[in-house]
This record gives sequence, C-alpha cells and structure tokens, in this order.
Amino acid sequence: MEHIANREITGKPSCNRSAFFKARYLDAPLMVDIEYIKYLTESNRKTGGTEVLIRRATDHAWALSHMTPVINENDVLAGNKTRFIRGAIPYANYAASPFLKEMRKEEQDAQSKHTAQGIGGGIGKAMKEAAGKGLRLISGKFLIGTDDFESFKEICEYWEDKCFMEQGDLLWKKNFPEAQFIENGWKIGLYTAPHEPCPEGRLILDYETAVGRGYRAIIKDIEEKINSETSGPDSVFTGSDSDFSRSKGNIAEGQISAGNVSEVHASRLEFWKSAVISLKGAITFAENYAAEARRMATLEKNPVRKAELEQMAATCSRIPMEAPRNFREALQSFWFTYLLGHIEGSHLGYSPGRLDQVLIPYFRNDPDMTIDQAVPLFEELFVKMTQIEYIASLSWQGLGHGNLYQNLILGGVDGDGNPADNDLSLAILQAQINMQMTQPTLSVWWSDNLSHEFQMKAAACVKTGVGYPAFFNQKTYVTHELNTSGLPVEVIRRNCAIGGCTEPTLQGMSYGIVQAGFVNHGKIIDLVINKGVDPQTGIRMYPARELKTYEDVRLYYLDIMHAAIRNWQQYWNIVMIAHRQTVPLIFCSVFVNDCIASGKCMDDGGAVLNSSITTLSSGLVNVSNSLAVIKRLCFEDKACSLAELFYAVQENWNGFEMLRKKALAVPHWGNDDDFADDIFLDLFKEYCNWVRGQNNFLGKPYDPSMLAISTPVPFGKVCEAFPDGRMSGEPLADGVTSPFPGTDLGGPTAVIRSSSKVDHTQIRGGLLNLKFHPSALKGDSGSENLLALIKTYFEKPGFHVQFNVVDSRMLKDAQEHPENYRDLVVRVAGFSAYWVEMSKALQDQVIWRTEHTI
Amino acid sequence: MKGNIFAIQHYAVHDGPGIRTLVFLKGCPLRCDWCCNPESHSSKIQLRYIPFKCRLCNRCLPACPVHAISVQDGTLRHNFDLCKECPGKPCTDACPYGARTLSGSEISADDLLDTLSRDMPFYRNSGGGVTFSGGEPFHQPKFLLEMLQRCQSAGIHTAVETCGWAAESDIRQAIPLTGLFLFDLKIIDPEKHLLHTGKPVGPILEYLALLAAEHPQVIIRFPLVSGITDTWENLNDILNIMNKNGLTRLHLEPYHSLGADKYEEHGLNYTLQNLNHYESGDLESFRQFFISGGLNCEVI
Repeated sequence: MEHIANREITGKPSCNRSAFFKARYLDAPLMVDIEYIKYLTESNRKTGGTEVLIRRATDHAWALSHMTPVINENDVLAGNKTRFIRGAIPYANYAASPFLKEMRKEEQDAQSKHTAQGIGGGIGKAMKEAAGKGLRLISGKFLIGTDDFESFKEICEYWEDKCFMEQGDLLWKKNFPEAQFIENGWKIGLYTAPHEPCPEGRLILDYETAVGRGYRAIIKDIEEKINSETSGPDSVFTGSDSDFSRSKGNIAEGQISAGNVSEVHASRLEFWKSAVISLKGAITFAENYAAEARRMATLEKNPVRKAELEQMAATCSRIPMEAPRNFREALQSFWFTYLLGHIEGSHLGYSPGRLDQVLIPYFRNDPDMTIDQAVPLFEELFVKMTQIEYIASLSWQGLGHGNLYQNLILGGVDGDGNPADNDLSLAILQAQINMQMTQPTLSVWWSDNLSHEFQMKAAACVKTGVGYPAFFNQKTYVTHELNTSGLPVEVIRRNCAIGGCTEPTLQGMSYGIVQAGFVNHGKIIDLVINKGVDPQTGIRMYPARELKTYEDVRLYYLDIMHAAIRNWQQYWNIVMIAHRQTVPLIFCSVFVNDCIASGKCMDDGGAVLNSSITTLSSGLVNVSNSLAVIKRLCFEDKACSLAELFYAVQENWNGFEMLRKKALAVPHWGNDDDFADDIFLDLFKEYCNWVRGQNNFLGKPYDPSMLAISTPVPFGKVCEAFPDGRMSGEPLADGVTSPFPGTDLGGPTAVIRSSSKVDHTQIRGGLLNLKFHPSALKGDSGSENLLALIKTYFEKPGFHVQFNVVDSRMLKDAQEHPENYRDLVVRVAGFSAYWVEMSKALQDQVIWRTEHTI
Repeated sequence: MKGNIFAIQHYAVHDGPGIRTLVFLKGCPLRCDWCCNPESHSSKIQLRYIPFKCRLCNRCLPACPVHAISVQDGTLRHNFDLCKECPGKPCTDACPYGARTLSGSEISADDLLDTLSRDMPFYRNSGGGVTFSGGEPFHQPKFLLEMLQRCQSAGIHTAVETCGWAAESDIRQAIPLTGLFLFDLKIIDPEKHLLHTGKPVGPILEYLALLAAEHPQVIIRFPLVSGITDTWENLNDILNIMNKNGLTRLHLEPYHSLGADKYEEHGLNYTLQNLNHYESGDLESFRQFFISGGLNCEVI
C-alpha cells in the first residue's frame, strides 16, 4: 500500500482561544432558532395597515430589540445570529410553504428528490441528538425543540398566504402566460427549485461608511433629509396647504413628471423613516449586548475574563453608534453591521467584500495593534462566520450544501491601479491557514504587481488544501463593468469585490438579488435528442423538429435554450414584484449607495448599479462536447447517422460500445483543440447575447453569468446519456470552463489554454477548477510554479481559477473512515465544505474528478 | 524526422526548473530492476493489455491476426511474444473499453515542437521549459539532437534526463544545445551495477566525467531502492564520485511500486516484489548524510 500524500501545509490555531472556538464549532449540532421570526411575526400581527416599508422596518426593529444577546464562553467579538453555536433562522416570511409541506409530510418541490445532503459531522450529531433528547429534526439536518416546533408551525401558518413565495406565486401563476413551461421545467429538471426560500445575497454593504461614520451620524443625516422635505425651504408643505402636487418640479433629480410627485414624496419619506426605524432597532441590539456583557462581568470570578467582558460592554455602548477609536472597535463595528444585515434577509452570498481595505486605516492608526494580535481576532471572526447556518427548502440546502458563500476578497489594486495588498491581507490569509474554516469564502483579486510575500502566502493557503483562496482577475471584471455600467474606472477598481461564490459586483453600491436559479443546459440536450419531449417524464417542452444537418441540430438547441432562458427571466421579473411588497431590505438599503441620497430602497432602484442582476446556467461543456461529437461523427466522418447516434444515447450506449468509443475519441473541450473549443465559444456567445436581450425587474439588461455550486450532481442525475459519451445519471462537468472528467488529455496547461479562449469580459462570473496532487506544489518552487500558472491564465485574460489539493486516496479513505477526517475540507465549486457533511453523491463527484490529476 | 515517444506530460514540476513539459522517448539500453516505466524499454510500439478494464466481450479474438488471444475458463490469456511481430495490432481498435491500447507512438519533429511551443507562456512566466526523458533519450540520438536544436531556436529551455549510456559524439553534440542535464547514477560497484541494470558502469562514469567537465548544469539523480542502492557503501561511493567530479546537486528518488502493474500489462516480469517503502524519517536521514557530505540534496 502506497502512502497517502499529505498536504504540505497544515496550519493550527494561533492560540488556545481559537483552538477552543474551532473545537466547539466542530462538536456542535445544527440548530434552528425561531426567536427572530417569532418576534418578527409578533410585530407583524400588530402592524397591519401600515405602509409596506415602515411595516417591514418596524417588524425587523422589534425583533432586533427583543433577540437574546448571546455572549458565549471566551467570545471577544460580540454578536451572534442565533442563540446556538451552529444556528439558522427559518425565514417563514420569505417562504413558509416548504416548512409546512415538510411538517405535513408532503413533497416540497419537484427537485428535492434529486438533491442530497450530507449525513456526517454536525449533521450526524443533530440526527443523533434528535433521537436522544426529544428534539425534532427539521429540514433534514436541523434540531428544533418540541415546543418551538409547535410555535414554528403556527408561525408558518400565519405566513402561508403572506410570505414572499406565496405572494409571488399568486402573481406569476395567474399572470404569466408561460407559467406551465416553468412548472414543467421544474418537473423535468430544466431549472433548479424555486428560490424564494433564500433569494437574498450577492450583497456587499458599504462598510467604509457604516464603520467610519457610525449610526448616530447617519440617522442625523436622514432626519435632516426628512425635516427638509417636510419643513425646510424645499419642503413640499411650503405653501398654502399640503398638496404634494404643487411642490417644486425638481425633486427626485427632475426625473418624474408632475403627476406622480406626491407618490414619490410619500415613498421617499417612508423609506427614510423606515431607515431610521431599522437603524434604531440595530442600536438597541448593540445596547442589549452592552447590558449583557456588563451583567456577565459582574458575575465573573476570573479577573482576566471579567476585564474582557467589561471591555466588551464599553465597546458595545458606543459601537456601531459612533466612529471607532481603534482597530478592535472597527472590527466590532464591521461585525455588527455585517451581522445586522445578515439577520434582515434570507441570504446566500451576502459577503464582507474587501475587508483588508476597509479595516486597514484603523490598523495603521492603532499603535497598540500588530499583525500577530490581529490574526486571532480574524480567527474568531472566521469561526463566527462559519457558525451561521441557513435553513431553506431541501433542494436549496442540497444545492448550496450548507455554504453561505460569504466572500472576503483580498489584495487587488486601488482606485489608481496601485497594488492594494497590505498587512491585514497577510493577517487574514494567516488566519485562514491556521483555522481552515469553510467560511469566509476567501478570495484574492489578482494583479501582477501584488507583493511577492502576499502571493507566496496565498499559495501557502492553497497548499493547506482548504480550497481557498480562489483567484480572480481584477482587470477582466473591470473591463466587464466598464462595458456594462460605464461607471468611472476608479470607482470600479476601488469597489469591485465578489458577492457570493464567483460573481463580481461593486461593494456598497450594487443591487444584490440575482436570478439565483440555474438553467440546466444538459436537459436541453435531452430535449433535442427526444424531439422536444423529456425522456424521463414524457412532458413535451417544445415542438418536434426535423433535423437534417448539423446546423439544424445547433439551431434546435439554441431555440429551446432561448425559450428556457426567456421564460425563466420573465417569470422571475414577476416574482420580484412581490419582493417589494413583502420583504424589501431596509437596513441593508441604508448601506447601499445611493439609496439614502435618492430616497429609494434597493427594490425601488436606489442602488447605483442595477445591472448586477444575472441569469445563471450550468452544464454548457457537456452541450459543447455533444455537438462536437454530432458534428464530427454524423456529418464530417459519417461514421453513423444522427438517428443511430440518438438511438444509442437513448439506450444509454448499451450495445453501442464501439460507437461510444468513437464519440469519446472526438476532441472534447479542454484540450486546446480548435474544433472542440470553437463550438463552446459559439454557444457561449449565443448564451451571453440572448441573456442580455431581456431587461431585469429594475429595467436594466440581465447580465450573463455561469457558475456551478453543487448543480452538476442533481442536474446530471435527471439527464439521460449524452452524445459526448457521458452515461445516464452521471454528473455534468463541474464549474464553467472545467472539462468533463477523463476527457482532458493534455493536462492543466491545455485546460487553461482552452479556457483562456473564452472572452470572460462578457460575463459576470466564470469558474475553473483545477486539481493538484500535493506533490505537484511541493516547496517554494511548487508555490512559484502555481503562481506562474495563475499569472499565465490571467494574462490571456482568464477570470477565475481555484484549486483542490488532495490525494484521491485520502478522500477514499475519508469515505471509509469519516471518524478520522472530521476537519477535512475540500473545494467543491465556488466554495469549500467539510468532507463529512457532504452528500455521498457529491463526495463521489469530487473523488471522480480528483483522480484525473497530474 | 520522426521519433518514438510513449508520453508527454504537461505541468511537470520535478524535472528541472519551472513549469515544464516532459517528453518520454521510447527505448532504453538499461534494464533496471526498479524501473517504473517498463513500456520505455523497447523502442518499438507495444501492446498494453489492462485486465481490469476488460469486460470479456471477446471482440478482440476475431480481430487478432496472429492468434495471440485465447479464452480459457472464463479468463482471457494473451501471448505477448506472438503479438510483437503483429504490425497494426488491430485488436486495439476492436476493444470498446480501452483495455487494449498501444504503448508508444510516432511523432514528427514538427508536431512535437508545435505541442511543446503551446506552453511557451507557462515556460516564460515560470522559468520553465522542456525535459527529454525516457527511456533513454540518447537511444534516439538523431531525433533528440534535432529536437534540442529546434527548442533552442524557439527559445525554449531544455533539459535532458539520461542514464549516461550514450555515444560520446552524441553527448558532445548535445552539450551546447542543452540547458540542464539530469544524470541518473544508480550503483557504483561494477558487479552490482551489471547485475541490477544489465550494463557495466564504466562507460557511464566516463561520460559523467565528460559532462561534469564540459557543462555547468548537471544534477545527479539517485534512486533509493531498499537493499539494492541504499547500502552505506553505495551512498559513500555516490558521494565520492560527485565530489571527484565537482558536482554538488543531488536529487533523491525514493522507490515506489506504482509501475508494477504495467509490467504485467506489457507481458513483462516484475522482480521486485514486496520491497520496503521509505518513511519520511528515513528519507531525511539519507538527505542529511549527503548534506553533511557537502552536497545540495533534495528528495523528489
């Protein structure tokens, strides 16, 4: 037996406190905490009849003011999302029906049988404890107390007809002519499950302002706006009476006609008032922490801990209300704002952004703070971020695999184009090397002139095998955003960050929600082969068509793809009307420019950037490979007829093994072969152009994007065999430009050469997974070579690359002996996960693709 | 001009500086017991039969013109001796499952250079290049020299990994075309060398001296094979030879058995069964031995 190759770098927590936090996390079961939603519902029962924004802010503030402040043993940073170590808030106000269906033992949605969750780690612990302690298990992996279970059921029943999902359904199911196409699309696996249970995210708040000014100053600004609107010289009330329509015509930047002036005034006032309400609720939240810390300090016997609690009480009495006086206060201020925004919505991909840039002024001006002292603070922050769980429908829990995609991106260049990596960039990398937590989703903005020390530290972090950081090419995105938004290049460079797994955005100024569901390109191949009918359900999705030439096949694919995407976009545009009416984000809007200045929340278009809304898809590599095989075998070599190839595929290649061999011998994507690659490039271009042809719900064109999360597994599961040689049910190719496992014969350099032919400036996103055996990155020279590889890809320019560094034998051993691998982390797709908490199917996929390493 | 190769490996990072492309030329004059690339021995294209991929569909039986394949008691047997003279080896086309493949292929100098040049940006950014290995690259001297010449003209850094069994004129021609020599040195004792590699060590040491005198970049590669090369006597001999020739850089290559299956798959015998693998502590003590002898030594 050969030895399993270990990863070269194995960090450990910098201090006992961090080690304690990590051990406590790894030992904790997953819990549901209904406290927030209980108070939100309590308020909502009373606020009926109030204007939507005011009501939303009032309910949220009420819940914030009443949540239990939880300071756990050894905590230095104050603030937790739930009362548990690993806890999730069940947002029934977004979607109550998935929970109710589960409680009523009904199928949640057509997708839930195709997605799977893990059963080990904290999930296994929850299952065991559920049996032992009279707790109930909910959503497959969360524990909930029996009393809470009953209360939560009542809460869900209250929201059943009021929640975002139900209100959205009422709109689109009645008003959208293609509603049946969407419903059928779910049944056949053309689309991922409805995303209303966790639609928020990809959002990065303006932490520079939140931290730098403090809430009191911001409230004062808003109150002045309210005052000048109601009583100042520009007041709408100036004049003989309060007739809004007689006010000056220049309000709202002169964009509105006289006819709806009163409406605009009303909504500006309501937004500003609701903003103040939510900020005041947030202040109470912090003050409750101050009181709790003070209470605990008086009871504390240990003088060291007592002093820490007193310090925490003092900090929470002035943070986030005032500007910080030192680095610790700045970090606390960031964390409060981050957490408060997180509590407000059911987020996936809500991200801290460029934290090294936001915090560096406080670090530099704090004479008592060193890198070594900052590292443990970040270690605690990372544990706190990982402790946030989300509960949604089973389908989305399976797709997201428990990951919240909280993207923290380091380095890059500043507004003038100078390298921006700093001491905190190093400290944050060191904290991740030490802790190897699955959150934050750590990333690096690549620029050739980042310091060598920072680059080598990033490579060292990769070599831990934790899958972080992912590398993103800043100049590629800057070009994309220049072309899309036309904002000044300095603004783009300075604020660009990643919201979620791999989607770039501008922090503090972008609308967050995307069309988070995915279109399954693979399913369209099934439809092409079966004359527009889904072979697994018999549902007709598209009219049959006679296919005589390669161009016929290509056009048939494109036409079905067009219908699939356009319907998907239009459906979502209708759903999002309900978002404004049920769950608009008020607190978050305060920290997205220019919502306050314009008096509009994000749902009303208050963000500077509203073209950040993407349409997502996955599986294009398999489509491209299939078309390559059809073109070569049926029309160029005439090795078989199209009918014969389709028949072989319908038979899952049984009895057609020789034909399958020929299909696999046709060049596939990822080998730097122009025949195969040109087909991918053509499809990619068609996809991008088509996506842009539809405006989003805020009036800007949808932005094309592709990413993967866990979709290759469930999307593959619903698809029959493909002409590219893939067998029925096998996962699709992962990532966006990653080759199908086993078909990349030219090694990673050929994969990169293929991938670099794609014009990544066309899309908001992109994803390339590369896997390395630990020995390929050994030593300083191994790190230097890795960096050279990244540099070469980004010269082309590519957009994103991430690395899994693991010996596949270790993964197989971990499947057999999970007890020895509780803290093993691997990269999946745009995120990393604890091995033991991944589903068996996803584990198998990672092993499968890991075996094709150099 | 054409050469015979059995693999090209991209992103090779252990065989010279930077990111490299490794070209494995077929054919070797030595037969080292521990060799992990048995398909490199013969310079001819060979059949490889991989039993675990075989599903006993028997499609290969009628396809074989030399009657080398038979099925007895549900087991497929293959006579590799008969197979040697079969020109096209059509059984490989008949197999749908990849259980029958060819080891080795002919490639023209033009095509090979095209393949190698594609990774130019990786070489440039990493200080890498191309390494010719094998087999023994000097076993196809004309092709090797042609490729070295072409790479040099294209601005690609070159390395040659050799066992030192070559014609002097070929080595002399290669010296100005080669950026780095990786020289495999196994056993210094003449009898043992002959026993375990099939060739005398004398000429190899002569060429080592020639290279050491004429070329500034020579790294010695030394395979650690338990009980065969890792005796203290041999370790001392290696150290002395290096010191004598003024060589300071040494790569230790610990034995592994990953190539064992390939012997059977090519109809060859693997003689080193159940050999010990090294623990990292063992390797470190070997490394320290050479470092204390004044060498720059790393484990590959």
